[in-house]
Amino acid sequence: MLLKIIGSILIISASGFIGFLYSKDCSARPQQLREIQSMLQMLENEISFLSTPLSEAFERIYKSSNNSISAIFKSAHEYLIDNLNYNASEAWALAVRDNIKKTSLKEEDEEILVSFGKILGSSDVEGQIGNIRLTVNQLKMQEHKAEEIRKKNENMYRTLGVLGGIAIVILLL
Amino acid sequence: MGVDLIFKIAAIGILVAILHTLLDQSGRKEIALMTSIIGLVVVLAVVAREIFKLFESIKTMFQF
Repeated sequence: MLLKIIGSILIISASGFIGFLYSKDCSARPQQLREIQSMLQMLENEISFLSTPLSEAFERIYKSSNNSISAIFKSAHEYLIDNLNYNASEAWALAVRDNIKKTSLKEEDEEILVSFGKILGSSDVEGQIGNIRLTVNQLKMQEHKAEEIRKKNENMYRTLGVLGGIAIVILLL
Repeated sequence: MGVDLIFKIAAIGILVAILHTLLDQSGRKEIALMTSIIGLVVVLAVVAREIFKLFESIKTMFQF
């Protein structure tokens, strides 16, 4: 009897924890979308006011903040520095594809970032800034959507985890 | 055995009802329907053995 109680408590807490993780993941996505917007803003400043080369701009951006998004800028910087074969858009695309799994961002966000990279380093300053603004606007729209999804799902995942655990316990008893 | 089974089915019923309202509120009507159906199937699977026993006893009752 004691063993059963301990086991059921373990199962309920484990599934509740899984639900909690999912709900945390929901709230991480809008947060990260905000972060990447502010980083792109920084990149715009670097390009328009300081005219720094892209690899240096990437380096400065990832050093200025420490979160999972800055890993994209870091590896883009590394691709640009280490391999002279890659041009800016290839390095950016590779960096995004390498690091998107470590973040909570979805595929649609990945597509926006990759298409941002396609124009990166291939036009004059005005074009670059226009490209960055366009991407920031798109990300803002994604953020609104993600925020709505978060509101809808955050509570549901948490409750669903606990209730699922209780269901498993009832079935096993 | 008998009372335990009834309590188990009642608990599953309550749980499925809560899950249904929860999923319905968050706008996932299809998944809510699916959980209801899965609850039904699970309860049926639990009860199947008892129903089989009932049929067996009815059969023996009519065998002279």
